[in-house]
Amino acid sequence: MKPLVSYVITRALMFLLSIWGAFTLAFFFFHLIPGDPVSAYLQQLEQQFSQTVDAADAAAMAAEMKARLGIDGSLPEQYWRFLGNVFIRFDLGPSFINFPKPALEHILEKLPWTLWLLGTSTIISWILGFVVGGIIGTFRNNFASQFLINFSLVISQIPSYFTALFALFLFGYWFVLLPTKGAYDPSIEKDLLNPRFLLSVARYAIMPAMAVVMVGVAGTLISTRSLVTTILGDDYLQFAHAKGLRRSHILMRYVLRNAMLPQITGLALSLGFVLNGFYLVEIIFNYPGMGSLFLSAIRLLDYNLILGIVLMSITVVLAATFIIDLLLPLIDPRIKLSD
Amino acid sequence: MTDARPLLTIEDMRIHYDSVRGAYKVVDGVDVEVHRNEIFGLAGESGCGKSTLVEGILRLIEPPGHIHSGTALFRPFPEDPERSLDLVQLDYHEMREIRWKHLSYIPQGSMNSLNPVMRIRDQMTDVVMHHEPGGQNEINRNIAAALEMVGLPESLGALYPHELSGGMKQRVCIAMSMLLQPALVVADEPTTALDVNVQRAVLETIAHLRDQMGAAVIFVSHDLAVHAELVDRMAIMYAGVVMELGTVYEIFDNPQHPYTKRLIHSIPALGGPRERLESIPGMAPSPLAWPEGCRFHPRCPDAVPACSSATPRTIELDTGRKVTCHLFDPDIDLEQGSA
Repeated sequence: MKPLVSYVITRALMFLLSIWGAFTLAFFFFHLIPGDPVSAYLQQLEQQFSQTVDAADAAAMAAEMKARLGIDGSLPEQYWRFLGNVFIRFDLGPSFINFPKPALEHILEKLPWTLWLLGTSTIISWILGFVVGGIIGTFRNNFASQFLINFSLVISQIPSYFTALFALFLFGYWFVLLPTKGAYDPSIEKDLLNPRFLLSVARYAIMPAMAVVMVGVAGTLISTRSLVTTILGDDYLQFAHAKGLRRSHILMRYVLRNAMLPQITGLALSLGFVLNGFYLVEIIFNYPGMGSLFLSAIRLLDYNLILGIVLMSITVVLAATFIIDLLLPLIDPRIKLSD
Repeated sequence: MTDARPLLTIEDMRIHYDSVRGAYKVVDGVDVEVHRNEIFGLAGESGCGKSTLVEGILRLIEPPGHIHSGTALFRPFPEDPERSLDLVQLDYHEMREIRWKHLSYIPQGSMNSLNPVMRIRDQMTDVVMHHEPGGQNEINRNIAAALEMVGLPESLGALYPHELSGGMKQRVCIAMSMLLQPALVVADEPTTALDVNVQRAVLETIAHLRDQMGAAVIFVSHDLAVHAELVDRMAIMYAGVVMELGTVYEIFDNPQHPYTKRLIHSIPALGGPRERLESIPGMAPSPLAWPEGCRFHPRCPDAVPACSSATPRTIELDTGRKVTCHLFDPDIDLEQGSA
């Protein structure tokens, strides 16, 4: 167990270091964007209500608000203060888009929707892509396989926001079959124990999920097929045939089992990217997930919320790779942990 | 040998690989017989078609290769020696039944012939389960016995292939080939890429298999020294055909065919004076266009005009040995090439 312990400790330290590095980069990057969100907001208020406020009062108000948001003082001061708040007290500070609601609360509100929609879509597209890719890799000379692989090559290059628009047009406008915006039917009481609510959640997820799955399946299918094609040429496969094993057994235990190992790493990575990759799809369907939240935060330059979202995404990606590193030795006997 | 019917009769076997430049006639009309309980050697330079011939018998030829014509009558049933199966004509399912139970295989690339993600015992178990399903205890006993026979401990069954050395993997393959006590074992270059100590152990194991289990072995190797040590009868192949066939003593003590003579003289004599070895001039011809007449004539020092114009017949000499050369054909005009 000793190598495992030291491995976990080294990796955990690396994990923290990466999060800190990414946090620092993101912090300075977003503060490089020119503009003062608070003054802009106050000006907007003045225009909205057609009132002029005394310049001194306005300045005092802006200073007060900046202090509450934690964006007063020099940039290094802000950085150290924010760093301390985030890493020691797990506090992102108030949000600006909906002041003074804490930024973390916003994130925790939206996070489950994104995890549900994109996590499920990613897993579904991996399973579908792996199984179909394995089959068309094994029987690669018939017409259906040739068609599927070429079709996938095309589909995989289409961005998911385009398939989202296409699905929207097809099922929301042409054939009016599915709801086009939101995550659930607002007329139903929001209760996780209510089957009608859960059903509407599933129904509202179909179209955005479809947009993600189509592209995801194509990618997994292509890589699985090429893995399987390589494995079919390996000596141990010829030997398996010479042993007179049943074809289904060879496919399951020899071909797919070996193709699965690299693909599981791929699955973990794409699960990590769930929070990053599909903001546009969420925005197109007005889905109340992290994508829509990130868009509003960027619009108002809500530093606390932006950094919170970035930090969350980075943590999920790193956690996914960390977990898969620990799991791989259990799945693949050839991999052993060492210092 | 009271049993007159040979275990395997290969007649006029032709195996071609299609290409845009035409058919590569890698095996081009081979006739050999393998008797029960004998070790039959196939020797020749690389590219002469010996491995392709045995892959053809095992039905492991993959497109673009195919068995163009020929028969391979296999009589594996001791209780009914007359009953024969033509290995070339069997369909996939019939062939699957024959494989391993009656006809097993020790592969050329045994380094990579084991499934990297299955334990040795599981790989041995699945072959038994697919042919003679039985109780786990009995299977484990058989596996332990087979491993012991090749000098490996039973505990090795719990390991994965990457935890074994090359020689151990080779011996695992041999143990596996004997699990179901087949009538015929095809060993394709089983000693290539092993160092001499391990080679010796492997050869002893194969001889032991024949003595103990009564299996016949087709032993393919380019290494004449190994043949001299192990086999009973052997065929010398050149350019997709058999040049000479006889017992190992006949071939080595009294080679008849000019090619066999050259081949045997190219082996250094142990303990003799160090002198320049004789080599055979020229290069092996291409299977796309074998030379007219006798395929060896461009490199043959004894060639006569007939050799370049007429294809030599196979002449049976006194003791049943066969030579494919005009020089032994009493009916041919050596200057003209017409019979």
